[in-house]
Amino acid sequence: MNIAFAGNPNVGKTAIINNIAGSNLKVGNWPGVTVEKKEATLILNGKQITLTDLPGVYSLSSYTIEERITRDFILDSEVDCIINVLDSTNLERNLYLTLLLMELEKPMIIALNMYDEFKKLGYKIDLEGFKNILGINIVPTSAIKKEGLDELIKQALNLKGRHSKLKYRLRYEGFIEDEIKNVVEKLKKENLQSKYPLRWIAIKLIEKDEYIIEKLRFETKKDLSTLAKDNIMRIEERFDEDSESVLTEIRYGIINGILKKVLKKPQKIASTITEKLDSIFINRVLGIPVFMFFMYFVFKFTFDGSAPFIDWIDGFINGYLAKYLSIALSNIVPGWLNSLLIDGVLGGVGVVLSFVPLMVFLYFFLALLEESGYMARAAFVMDKVMNSLGLNGKAFIPMILGFGCNVPAIYATRALENESDRKLVAVMVPFMSCGARLPIYALFTATFFLHHQALIVLSLYVIGIVIAFIVGLVLRKTSMFKAEKTPLLLELPPYRIPSLRILWISSWTRTKSFISKAGTVIALTMILIWGAIHLPINSTYETSFLARSAKVVTPLFKPAGFNNWQIVAAIIPGLIAKETVVGALAQTLNIEEESNQNNSSNFIQDTTKQLSELIDAFFNSFKAMFFNISQETFKLESISNKFKKRISQVMTPLSAYSFMVFMLLFIPCIVTLAAIKQEFGWKLMFFEIWLLIFISYIASVIVYQMGSLLYNFI
Amino acid sequence: MLFSQLKTGDKAKVIKLTGGKEFRKRVSEMGLVKGAVFRIKTIAPLGDPIEIEIKGYKLSIRKSEATNILVEKINYK
Ligand SMILES: Nc1nc2c(ncn2[C@@H]2O[C@H](COP(=O)(O)OP(=O)(O)O)[C@@H](O)[C@H]2O)c(=O)[nH]1
Ligand SMILES: [Mg+2]
Repeated sequence: MNIAFAGNPNVGKTAIINNIAGSNLKVGNWPGVTVEKKEATLILNGKQITLTDLPGVYSLSSYTIEERITRDFILDSEVDCIINVLDSTNLERNLYLTLLLMELEKPMIIALNMYDEFKKLGYKIDLEGFKNILGINIVPTSAIKKEGLDELIKQALNLKGRHSKLKYRLRYEGFIEDEIKNVVEKLKKENLQSKYPLRWIAIKLIEKDEYIIEKLRFETKKDLSTLAKDNIMRIEERFDEDSESVLTEIRYGIINGILKKVLKKPQKIASTITEKLDSIFINRVLGIPVFMFFMYFVFKFTFDGSAPFIDWIDGFINGYLAKYLSIALSNIVPGWLNSLLIDGVLGGVGVVLSFVPLMVFLYFFLALLEESGYMARAAFVMDKVMNSLGLNGKAFIPMILGFGCNVPAIYATRALENESDRKLVAVMVPFMSCGARLPIYALFTATFFLHHQALIVLSLYVIGIVIAFIVGLVLRKTSMFKAEKTPLLLELPPYRIPSLRILWISSWTRTKSFISKAGTVIALTMILIWGAIHLPINSTYETSFLARSAKVVTPLFKPAGFNNWQIVAAIIPGLIAKETVVGALAQTLNIEEESNQNNSSNFIQDTTKQLSELIDAFFNSFKAMFFNISQETFKLESISNKFKKRISQVMTPLSAYSFMVFMLLFIPCIVTLAAIKQEFGWKLMFFEIWLLIFISYIASVIVYQMGSLLYNFI
Repeated sequence: MLFSQLKTGDKAKVIKLTGGKEFRKRVSEMGLVKGAVFRIKTIAPLGDPIEIEIKGYKLSIRKSEATNILVEKINYK
């Protein structure tokens, strides 16, 4: 049995499903688009039930993907029951969607959610009268207090046996209803064979809904576009307005009438918490500082909070597991296979797993912003800044997160409503200079620009931002990223305290889907890169495939100023993670870093050490989030003198700057690519690769050539 | 009168929606139908968009879009 949850955004659909389904919840995408799909399958009273969380919408027009998904799902898939979730504290607007759903004549019931708030605010409702007028069962619920949910499911399960379609008692105003009936008669005369209800088709014809007319042409092979022409003319003449507006007004009129009969509003609504918070959060003076403050904390909590866990996982896998597996394997398999398994496969698993803490923290804080209602305020406050790109203010959040790490920033684009916006921001994110690029800057600025380190690093950040905006502006003009022409009609929902349990479930389910979807791409690429560095068998770094191909392409980089194969060869390992470039350079340039590997192996001792370090990680994470103001993410590491000397032999300050610009703009890492693939598919991923290669090359050539010109002048 | 002539705190009634078909549809589905009463709540720190209260909820709308809404100011008695 299939139950679908439909309703406006922020009414508690997800909260209800979460509470009913718990850990059975799965997150994926709707086929072909990047709108998130949440689904749960569970067994109740021996029956298998699928619960589907439909995208939150205000209406069922065809303008946004979300509306189309919701409407097509209800129309075309076998839904046994629609649960229309309403925010009981805002019935007037919520009921608009209810009327549209009722027109579809599918079995449905209403969850009158937020009933706890409703009572607290002092509203009163005549539930029996309400049910009678609508002809639908209504169950008051509170997802937060877990009230009414069992009853809701019971009603939904019982519905099936009794109705195939509900007999709705609700009819529209006389004149319009007559016109609708007239169109229905015409449809009957046409002998129209459609699986959709005739009254609904008639309404859509009167509303001149092109998408539906097309759909019907496909289904029935009939052109109905002119069938209701005279009805439309009569309506528009009488109301002096276009027919779709007339229907919208009439629906709102009906809602008004219903609410007058059944709802008693409180005498005076006291200034609510929302009003008070908004007087600070979107205040003309404080709004932007407050936004910056929240961004700082999301940034800090996400990156600093997860860092101790990332370090622990890294140490556990690449230190502890790698060591003992390698010892265990050394007697069974040849050296190269040992290296493939440890450095390639286990290393790949390590990369994926080391992102898990970051993803959990990110999704948690994003969900917190979203569910609490602040996200809409962020969009409101920053709207003007992003508006030049045709984006709303929410697009600011992925950009800022990008400075920490591009991977969570890509996933953070989920906060945006429409697909082309999401794609555009995802393409721009990799230009934000992430934390992993800092070790590269540290190496080169320490070698060549010791006295202007901060200035040089800052200039790189600025270059990244400027290029991102130029790329955004240019791409917006192309068909792939064209803005859907929907106006910014953004609801600012009441502030609500989200439940920890729900935040945890939603961040963990999303993280799981990261592991399974992005994980495979990452692991495969890791093995390929391992092959490039270690093959042919028994080769050294200098004779590997990587070095050989680097030598071939090196002349291409002459215009950019870094035409040493050692430098070029370090670019590819950087795909694993940008900081790897430093280590790779140490290898290609033959610099022996003193190794701090302890070779004594005491299994028991090492194991207890791992455990105690895990406990430390929890402690350090907590400390980093709440007691430590310094920003670990932006620390430049110290570089050995030998390394600096060797680098300065093969590069000049200018070529070093050009190389840094190249590394800033080049493909950030395979995990970012895997994230783009997971969210947007192969096409956008290859587009991004192509774009980044192109721009990084052109930009570094420009830097080097302009720099040389200037140098010659002086 | 034009939407842009309203000030923070003003109450007004929608008289007519102009602009493209899609815009009119979107706006009216959000409750800004002919005859609906709303109030200007606040303006964003950077001067755009505007927050209004309509049908018991809060909605933000950009100035450029609001120019397509003709209104009539309601005076307090
Ligand atoms: N007080 C109260 N808050 C609720 C209730 N149901 C959901 N919420 C909160 O309302 C916010 C939006 O809920 P969500 O499930 O994300 O809504 P959706 O957009 O319809 O999926 C969250 O902060 C929830 O914790 C309820 O019955 N009572
Ligand atoms: Mg939801």
